[in-house]
Amino acid sequence: MTPILADSAAPRSRTQRQSILKQIMGMPAGAIFLVFMALQIVCIAGALLYPNEFRYLSPQNLTILMKAVPVLGCLALGAGVLMIAGEFDLSIGSVYTFTAVLMASLVGAGVSAFVAAPLGILAGVLIGLLNGQITIRFGLPSFIVTLGGLLFWRGAVLLYNGAVQVRFDPEPVFTSLFSGTFLGINAAFIWIVLFVVGFHFLLHRHRFGNHVFATGGNRGAAEAIGINTNRVKLIAFAIAGGMAAVAGILATARVGSVQPGQGAGLELQAIAACVIGGLSLRGGRGSIIGIFLGVLLIHTITDVLLLLRAPGFYLDMFIATLIVLAAIFNHLIERRGVA
Amino acid sequence: MSNLLELHNISKSFGALTALRNLSFHIGEGEVVGLLGDNGAGKSTTVNLISGIHKPTDGYLSVDGRKTLFTCRSDSADAGIETIYQHTALVDSLSITRNIFMGRELTDRFGFLRQAEMREIAMEVLQNAVHISGIDSPDTLVGNLSGGQKQAVAIARAVYFKKRVLLLDEPTSALSVRETEALLNQVLKLKAENVSSVLVTHNIYHAYQVCDRFVIMSHGTKVFDVAKADTTINQLTDYVVLT
Repeated sequence: MTPILADSAAPRSRTQRQSILKQIMGMPAGAIFLVFMALQIVCIAGALLYPNEFRYLSPQNLTILMKAVPVLGCLALGAGVLMIAGEFDLSIGSVYTFTAVLMASLVGAGVSAFVAAPLGILAGVLIGLLNGQITIRFGLPSFIVTLGGLLFWRGAVLLYNGAVQVRFDPEPVFTSLFSGTFLGINAAFIWIVLFVVGFHFLLHRHRFGNHVFATGGNRGAAEAIGINTNRVKLIAFAIAGGMAAVAGILATARVGSVQPGQGAGLELQAIAACVIGGLSLRGGRGSIIGIFLGVLLIHTITDVLLLLRAPGFYLDMFIATLIVLAAIFNHLIERRGVA
Repeated sequence: MSNLLELHNISKSFGALTALRNLSFHIGEGEVVGLLGDNGAGKSTTVNLISGIHKPTDGYLSVDGRKTLFTCRSDSADAGIETIYQHTALVDSLSITRNIFMGRELTDRFGFLRQAEMREIAMEVLQNAVHISGIDSPDTLVGNLSGGQKQAVAIARAVYFKKRVLLLDEPTSALSVRETEALLNQVLKLKAENVSSVLVTHNIYHAYQVCDRFVIMSHGTKVFDVAKADTTINQLTDYVVLT
């Protein structure tokens, strides 16, 4: 046994001698991490050099960033798990609005927010399960099914509520729990960090996560070994729907009202964050930390462009370029992986 | 000695199409059987039947002399049968360790993976149960392996989980000459440990190298069943081509 161990130790010591840069690049979210760090260094240097023109490090700006990240973060985590399982959910933006309206109007009718919020999440989970059932039962592409979901639940918001905003007046405890400040850090940001840690353990350290990767990576192999891939996909759909509702709670608690049109386009931003974070559109590849870095990157770039007072359309063009570059990069990595 | 696996007068039709007719053969303990036949002879249907994907229209299977019915994949897996398909065995985007334990992960009672333990076992299986050249770490992604290495990982998985019969579906069709040799040697090594194998192939030469017995199929039924000692490669070829 000893000589074998010595044998296998040799190549590992070789990799240790590789530069740190190469090691980071080799990690699942290494490339995105480098891009993110480079951007941070540039931004921080710029803020230190021009503190009055470029207020990146000002407390106001950091607070805005921390408040902006959690909503897209929750949506992207749910969408990301589902993408790794090999399916899409385009309806999460509409579900996000629908469940928020549901929750806010329940609270308006006198229900405690601590009851209404779980009901909102339950609604999100059920909508996710419905998307999953239709996709699996009829063998349809989830892209089409959830495109239907996007339009259906957007319409349902207007049917249920009309095109007016809903006020959200929960107990003060609820507000401070989801949008207050704790040790100088925005509560919603703490929530998203907790979710990232939780999802990381679920996906990378838990049996369920292994089944998600197996289902998305090679469904035939997963089934051949006895994994119930339909069940895995259904759970992933439920997670996507549930996380959309959680995003709705965080956004509503922050703003204090729901706009019926607020979720439009968010589903695409969530998928964009996932792609930027290294997820494969074909499923089976990706990491939770990558998704989170993707979200942070989108919001950092948005923030920088706002600070530079760039017109809004620059923002879309920047994100678009980033998505395509990330997709090209991921594709190259996948090809290298297969060769 | 009762046979490990027996097929008794099995027929299988898909609607109007009859894929198998009255097929009977057996696989003994520690025996390597070559299931030969040209395309469309019914080999794949037979494999799917033994691995529980198809149910026979007529006839039955028996394991250790006891009549059984496989209704799904896990039934045949429980009986100790592992089917290794050419392309569907492994997940490219996962590591070797995770592939070996896929669906059978070692976890604590909350379902969290015992990663260090699995990694250690994977390392041991790779080094002792199957000798695969060129793999230095169980953390390597399966997508980075060659076809032969992939099959070796699939076999390692079957060996670790103490399977009694390996069904190898066209195992050599995508392998290099050297990888084929390694695979065939692996089959012989497993035989020495009393693991039976079924090589489903239309490469008679590869089968002839390692098999103890040959079952030749044509048009959904068995046309020849012969021990290696009683036949020649020419006779086998004639049966495959002419029947």
